[in-house]
Amino acid sequence: MLLLGIDTATRRVGVAIGNERGLLAAIELGGPASVGPPRHAEQLAPAIEFACQQADVSLAEITAVAVGVGPGMFTGLRVGVTTAKAMGLALGVPLVAIASLDLVAYPLRHADAGLIVPTIDARRREIYYALYRPVPGGVQRISEYLIGTPDELAADLSARGEDAVLCGDGVLRFRDEFIDHDCCQLAGPGHSTPDLTALIELAAARVARGQTEEAAAVVPMYLRQSDAELAKPGS
Amino acid sequence: MIPIGSSPSQPMMAVTPATRVLAIETSCDETAAAVVEGGRWVVSSVVATQFERHERFGGVVPEIASRAHLELINDVVADALRDANLRLRDIGVIAATQGPGLAGALLVGVSAAKALALATSRPYHGVHHHEAHLYAAMLADPTLEPPFVTLIVSGGHTLLVAMDDHGRYRVLGRTVDDAAGEAYDKVARLLGLGYPGGPILDQLAGTGNPEAIRFTRPMLDPREPDNLDFSFSGLKTAVVLHRRKHPDQPIADVAAAFQDCVVDVLTTKLLRAARRERLGTIVLGGGVAANSALRARVVAEAERASLRCVVPDRSLCTDNAAMVGAAAWHRLRFEPPTGLAGGAVPNLALPGTT
Ligand SMILES: [Zn+2]
Repeated sequence: MLLLGIDTATRRVGVAIGNERGLLAAIELGGPASVGPPRHAEQLAPAIEFACQQADVSLAEITAVAVGVGPGMFTGLRVGVTTAKAMGLALGVPLVAIASLDLVAYPLRHADAGLIVPTIDARRREIYYALYRPVPGGVQRISEYLIGTPDELAADLSARGEDAVLCGDGVLRFRDEFIDHDCCQLAGPGHSTPDLTALIELAAARVARGQTEEAAAVVPMYLRQSDAELAKPGS
Repeated sequence: MIPIGSSPSQPMMAVTPATRVLAIETSCDETAAAVVEGGRWVVSSVVATQFERHERFGGVVPEIASRAHLELINDVVADALRDANLRLRDIGVIAATQGPGLAGALLVGVSAAKALALATSRPYHGVHHHEAHLYAAMLADPTLEPPFVTLIVSGGHTLLVAMDDHGRYRVLGRTVDDAAGEAYDKVARLLGLGYPGGPILDQLAGTGNPEAIRFTRPMLDPREPDNLDFSFSGLKTAVVLHRRKHPDQPIADVAAAFQDCVVDVLTTKLLRAARRERLGTIVLGGGVAANSALRARVVAEAERASLRCVVPDRSLCTDNAAMVGAAAWHRLRFEPPTGLAGGAVPNLALPGTT
């Protein structure tokens, strides 16, 4: 097994190469401290090429492509998911589609909290998020993948009254909305983007269980309709 | 065999008549892929139209277009290869439209092309959409060589371009407001004809009397005999006012008179450009070039003026990937490929223009 991993659900471009034993190479560009317009389209293909060179791996050896399918930044997802699909087509390998929120939550599976709440900035003063519980060996999602305002999430957490650890770039962006919240701990910038080690680890497990998808069929998780559809619902 | 450019610092691509380009076009609402050999021969060309997804909105919705491209891209590329009876390893260059166009839509084609290029160790080249339209005529007529003047008319563009040589263009005129195709769509909506307006209006106009009304020809002022620009928003207003004043006039007549006006302006300017630039060949391109009245009129006027006239097949006029592959092949004769760091450029300027 040799996996190529891609996640572009946030403004960060993430590329990983690895297998069931872990990472061979990982590249992150445009992380939480970066400014200016994100450059997914320009940076992703060169990053994959560089990762392969440095890991001394040829793309022809890849057996599956793991991709974070969001929810997240639409432009980033178009670049990342399209690249993964075309790679799948060219290499004749399947895809493993993983929710990018899962990849933010998973590294906090050992956190001392009742709830793990990864968030991804959804623009327009909204965030994508979901609720997870730490369980032996991982995390278990206990909500749908959601989109809402920081206030809505804060109110939901207050109502639940459980200790929660919040992570992801949505929290970085809306820190002030959560900082005074009694039951919330905020994870630092190290937990702001979908984790590449998690991507390879979770994807390897799915490949081992045969849970792969045909490249042509994979699409991002948008959670939000286009403005035109919102204005004119139907069909 | 290999006309090589003059930039010593960057590696050239050795394109030959045997070089096959796999090209992708996703700048608007058609997801297209094609294989073109030697810049002139279409081996396969697949276009998946998204028309039905946009129909109920009466126009192209960028977000819906972007999502549809992503859903369709693998199948379209696979179909183009299958129709060509080729494998990816038989391809020499991967190309895609890099702009101008809808940002999210372009990203899909560019990302797919770069991934295919990277996976197969082939060069990636990004193509200008208008340059691609210029090359459509060379696919229609492989003996065609510059110089010539092309009128590119579609829902997104109305351009008069002199192609002096491969990679050397002069924009002679453009619309100052709406594109011709946009005017068609708006007037069709006004007449309650549905979407896409162009073909429906074209058909209806065929049953009406174009002389029933005479709309003022915009930008054809005799005091400006050299003007090569276009304007169609005033004509749309004139149609609105006419409808208000004469609600009982058959809409077929209104459609015919509108179409007559548009075709008159487009044809007059195309011939005017050829005369002014002393170019003996005129060419049509773009989605509106599929319009039957425009095609007939341009052919007739060219004959009267003893000009060579190339009116590509409708499938080459509307957005397609074969023209992208042709443009890429020709550009790679004198330019290095774009490479994997190339992005999508929604407002890209036509390269090689002066
Ligand atoms: Zn076009």
